[in-house]
Amino acid sequence: MKHLSRFIAVAALTLAAGIVGPGHAGTLENMERERAILLDSLLTAELPPEQRQAKVEVARNRLVDLERMVLRDRTLVGKSTPAVRSAYENYDLTFLVHASVEHNRALLDHWLQQVGVSTESLMNARVGRR
Amino acid sequence: MKTVRFLAGLTAAILLAAGPAQSANTDDASWAPRASERLIKLPASYLKKAVEQDYARSPLAAAVNETRENMAVRVKAMEELRGAIDRAEGELRTELRHQFLAEKRAYLELLARNQKLRRQQAETKIRIYENLLSRMRQDKQGMTPQRVALIERQNAAHDRFESSIGKVDARLFRSSIASESRYARDYAKNVAAIEQLVAAINAHPMNEQPRLDGIALTREDYVRQLVGDNQATLAVLDQEQSILGFMAKLVALDATALSEAATGDDLSAPGATQAAEAGPTDAVEFFVTR
Repeated sequence: MKHLSRFIAVAALTLAAGIVGPGHAGTLENMERERAILLDSLLTAELPPEQRQAKVEVARNRLVDLERMVLRDRTLVGKSTPAVRSAYENYDLTFLVHASVEHNRALLDHWLQQVGVSTESLMNARVGRR
Repeated sequence: MKTVRFLAGLTAAILLAAGPAQSANTDDASWAPRASERLIKLPASYLKKAVEQDYARSPLAAAVNETRENMAVRVKAMEELRGAIDRAEGELRTELRHQFLAEKRAYLELLARNQKLRRQQAETKIRIYENLLSRMRQDKQGMTPQRVALIERQNAAHDRFESSIGKVDARLFRSSIASESRYARDYAKNVAAIEQLVAAINAHPMNEQPRLDGIALTREDYVRQLVGDNQATLAVLDQEQSILGFMAKLVALDATALSEAATGDDLSAPGATQAAEAGPTDAVEFFVTR
């Protein structure tokens, strides 16, 4: 489970890094960075539950604002860059906080479902060594 | 004798008042507007006014006005000369007819100059409106299928966000100890102000969509209409150029007739001349009679 969490965190960070382009950070880049930090807080095994809860809450409230800034950012309308196209391909994954509230799901549950990891698939997974 | 002196004095006064045919060097008359971003973003109804205002401040507008004023002065001089010719006899009459011909020639020079400048004005306007049209078309051509799909997804995302924002606020802020952020508070405050301003802009008379025969025109349609108007001006100028050519021919014929009369070859030259007003069609009367 610990390895899986690490893998997912690294995957999320890599995805975010891939989306974020070089140069001046805009609303989208800031949101992607904050989302990666939130996912890291959710998935890291080192944090005690209380600390994780506090960290996640702060990051979530910040991410709500950042998601709204992106959705209201008129400079992104029709801006056909890989980062913008990729962001709007999956609303549920990009605007994580809004989508999770919409579906009445916890943040982590919603994200895991979006990346294709369910309780069932985890239960069916075998622990092994490579 | 007194009458002759009076007429000679009058003629001299008229010629002094009329001044030279081209009092100023209008070769530097120019107007070089550009289809700037500011112009592109202006409301369609204000677009034409902005171009006209820019033209009015240009050396070209000053030159057009100057030639127009000089033409009016020439017409007045020709009218007075015609009166003087009617009252004159003998050599003085012939002399006045020479001066009348000279006035006609000067008027034609001014008219040609005026037409050239007006053509320059119409061509410049066509060029700027064509530039605007091509900029508008470039924006449309930039709509690749990929971009269209992106905009559709962005609109869908925005609609989804708007429909869920109340639920998100209720769930995250009203049911927990966390308060709304400074961004959320300031944004909500500004939204009301923005809505008021947008409503005022939409209701503003200067922001009204231009209409043609009661039918609302799109921005592109309106600019195309402006191009058409200026092309019509050019077509009319072509016609006026023909009038100018005919007038010049008549002046040449008048001069030949006068020359023949002076040498005694012409027995049929009528003595009178007639006046006209400024403008090529109004001045036609001057040229069809001698």
